Amino acid sequence: MSDSKKIDVLIIGAGPAGVAAGIGARKEGAERVVVLERDWDLGGILQQCIHPGFGLRTFKEELTGPEYMHRFIQQAYDAGVEFHTNTMVFQIDQDTNSVWTMNKERGIECLNPGAIVLTMGCRERPLGAIHIPGTRPAGIYTAGTARRFVNMEGYMPGKRAVILGSDNIGLIMARRMIWEGAEVEGVYEVRSWPGGLRQNIAQCLDDYGIPFHLKTTVTKIHGKDRLEGVTVAEVDDSMIPIKGTERFVECDTLLLAIGLIPENELSRMAGVEIHKVTGGPVVNDLLQTSNPAIFAAGNVVIVYDIVDNVSDEGLIAGVNAARYAMGKISADIKRIPVIGGENVQLFSPQYVTGETDTTIFMRVTHPIESACRVFAEPGIYSQRLRYARPGEMNEVKIKAEQIKALGELKEIMIDIQPL
Amino acid sequence: MNYDVIIIGSGIVGASIARELSKYKLRIAVLDKASELPSGASRANSSMIHGGFDDKPGSMKARLCVPGNKKWHKLKDELDVHLDECGSYVCAFNDEEIKHLELLLKQGKANGDPGIEIITGDELRKHEPNVSPEIVAALWSPDAAIINNFEAVNAMIESAKINGAELFLETEAISLLFDDRKNIRGVMTSKGEFKAPVVINAGGVHSGEISSWAGDKSFRIIPTKGEYILLDRSTKGLIHSFLFSCPSKAGKGITVLQTSEGNMMSGPTASEQEDPEDKTTTSEGLAEVIKGARRLVPKFPVNMSITTFAGVRANTDTGDFAISVLRTPRGFVNVAGIKSPGFTSAPAIAEYIVEAMREELSDRIKFEPNDKFIPERRNIPRFLYLSMDERKKLAKENSSYAQIVCRCETVTEGQVVEAIRRGARTITAVKMMTRAGTGRCQGGFCCPRVAEILSRELNIPLDEITRHGGKSKLLVGKTKEFLLEKYAKGAGQNV
Repeated sequence: MSDSKKIDVLIIGAGPAGVAAGIGARKEGAERVVVLERDWDLGGILQQCIHPGFGLRTFKEELTGPEYMHRFIQQAYDAGVEFHTNTMVFQIDQDTNSVWTMNKERGIECLNPGAIVLTMGCRERPLGAIHIPGTRPAGIYTAGTARRFVNMEGYMPGKRAVILGSDNIGLIMARRMIWEGAEVEGVYEVRSWPGGLRQNIAQCLDDYGIPFHLKTTVTKIHGKDRLEGVTVAEVDDSMIPIKGTERFVECDTLLLAIGLIPENELSRMAGVEIHKVTGGPVVNDLLQTSNPAIFAAGNVVIVYDIVDNVSDEGLIAGVNAARYAMGKISADIKRIPVIGGENVQLFSPQYVTGETDTTIFMRVTHPIESACRVFAEPGIYSQRLRYARPGEMNEVKIKAEQIKALGELKEIMIDIQPL
Repeated sequence: MNYDVIIIGSGIVGASIARELSKYKLRIAVLDKASELPSGASRANSSMIHGGFDDKPGSMKARLCVPGNKKWHKLKDELDVHLDECGSYVCAFNDEEIKHLELLLKQGKANGDPGIEIITGDELRKHEPNVSPEIVAALWSPDAAIINNFEAVNAMIESAKINGAELFLETEAISLLFDDRKNIRGVMTSKGEFKAPVVINAGGVHSGEISSWAGDKSFRIIPTKGEYILLDRSTKGLIHSFLFSCPSKAGKGITVLQTSEGNMMSGPTASEQEDPEDKTTTSEGLAEVIKGARRLVPKFPVNMSITTFAGVRANTDTGDFAISVLRTPRGFVNVAGIKSPGFTSAPAIAEYIVEAMREELSDRIKFEPNDKFIPERRNIPRFLYLSMDERKKLAKENSSYAQIVCRCETVTEGQVVEAIRRGARTITAVKMMTRAGTGRCQGGFCCPRVAEILSRELNIPLDEITRHGGKSKLLVGKTKEFLLEKYAKGAGQNV
């Protein structure tokens, strides 16, 4: 790979963001566009997502994860994107942007591309992050690990599961376990609102009669070798378990769906500034990071609800990485900071350049279950909403011409407030 | 099976004795009920190599700690074990605690920990800027160090194996065998009889029970649980060494340290309990750890925690190690009640007890020097710490070193395969030997991959792979099997 012609755009990760970035970079005119994938096949986490519900927005039809990816991968091949699977990037040198890769056939190689796109996705929060007292038996998995066992390997992690957390993967896995003949005792969410999408609660829990307990959590793990059960308890408004509400639940499996964290080990190595709240790189609306030659898109930046958004963002990052590699992005573009208001938990991008129309993706801190308004000040955007929930992202759309018309702009403030 | 010596327990004590004995032409069997090493107190502890100021002069602990410390500084190269020679501080918050530091200073000098000195809080903060501003003084012990305890136990037992000792995992000692009540003949185990004229009790938290089989009830083990919190390695450098609080009756107090791998860690609590196997963490315990950690290092970022765990240490009612060659029954050796500074002392304990055995048990076994003894043992190559040239070379020689299995700790397939070649049979064994699964995702990514490699290399079905032996299977069967069972029972007729 390294001994042939110079790579213009190097993309790390062939999930939905990376594949779309490849398409974007080639379409923009970059000559050699390479996507590296550490797994043996392309598609990232969507390989495991064999349930339907993907691509409704992009393709106007309901596809499974692999089907959705297949369409993009086909487009990428047609566009002349070069893929290398079983290839892991294990280091990026900060000063030179050299990318170190390993592969069983080619060994260890060092690449020096014109621009880099980070599309490594995210990972699941582990049990250790939440301090549940008790033992440490077999049978405790993140929902994604369990999904890999079931969907990729064809093995069952257990016969009777409890699901802690209500992120989308947990909801999907609840249904998946039922489909495979296992029992799901219930889904327990410590917050007073669900982590995942409303439609997933309806389709994955309600349709199968799986009990969903809000403001309830697992307070103890039982079992020496294999999990034998968990204690669950209701929590108060400060998420402290309420004495007297404890209940023992027999189960051999505990699946964790307690959040996703953007995966940025490489970004940190590369010296890219990481946002304290999103956990992903700080980016402008070109999806350029604090290192001008490095772009980032998808769940590595901020965890999205639906894959269509990830593909869109991948495309934008690919296009701009190509433009950067071809010397078309000037070093002194505008950087207008975006500021989140009172009820904004997180958002991306954090800077607007005015070079392009852009969508700012955001989540609220607290749910609003009545009519409300999402807006960007000064007078850039305003949209009425029926509700706003942390489990469902909101968007602010900004046009380049609006930014131009506003002239010198100190900052853009976004928020969602009840009407 | 006939041996010269049987060692019950393969923690750091049993392993060190096995290695020390392998310097003689002896047939040595090491028994451990666990499926992987280390499993008991040697796994879940502070990984501290103590300076030696903590123990009352004249005690066995005081006598063996400093020599043990010195041995580890040499063994780290011989056994290829990670040892961070970082020193330690005991922190004092008030005048009363300064008095305690003075006592420790005196003790340390008496015990032979020569470099120790008391420094001011400001001097401490020059080296460790993130410690509490309220610390007024600290006892600095430059010879203290932090060891990779997973590596150390495996290295020690591997070295013993290289020199002829045999390790039997999942082999639980059930009782002692006697010729008559006066002479040891061997050990009855869950895997049958092991015969030997000498049996060494290195049973850790179970050593009291094993000792009572031999009729020695001169000490009692009080299982004492210690809970810990481990943080993500990105916290590296918050502090650089080992911080003690001033000790209380319950133990050495909550400490904060940087592990040999660069993670921040804090613990242990000290709660006495009946059950030697109860390693459950508790919300009270974890709260105590957090409080203690923040007292020393106010910024200790609990939100970066990647796991919590507990270990049970073998406290004795006498307060000291119980090390002796028993008169009756002949052939029984106690190396019991080894708690802090047990890990530190282990190599010195081994030397001490083997010397005692040579004096008192030469009529039962012959101590003929093993002139083929090889002191060196090399670790499985650790990709993370290799230079780029070394990595390239390794990947060229063996392509499985160019495949990452654990991305948090940069562990390659080559390392996992080598761990299996060296005896790993479970997910936890691979973890102990390679660190796959010890990082921030705690095995979320690598666990299925390690399971696949175990299945492939050992040629056993994936659903037979266990987390840590026994009934700890990862998987319960193939997909569709439950459905087929349900259909067979008629439950699916309405579907």
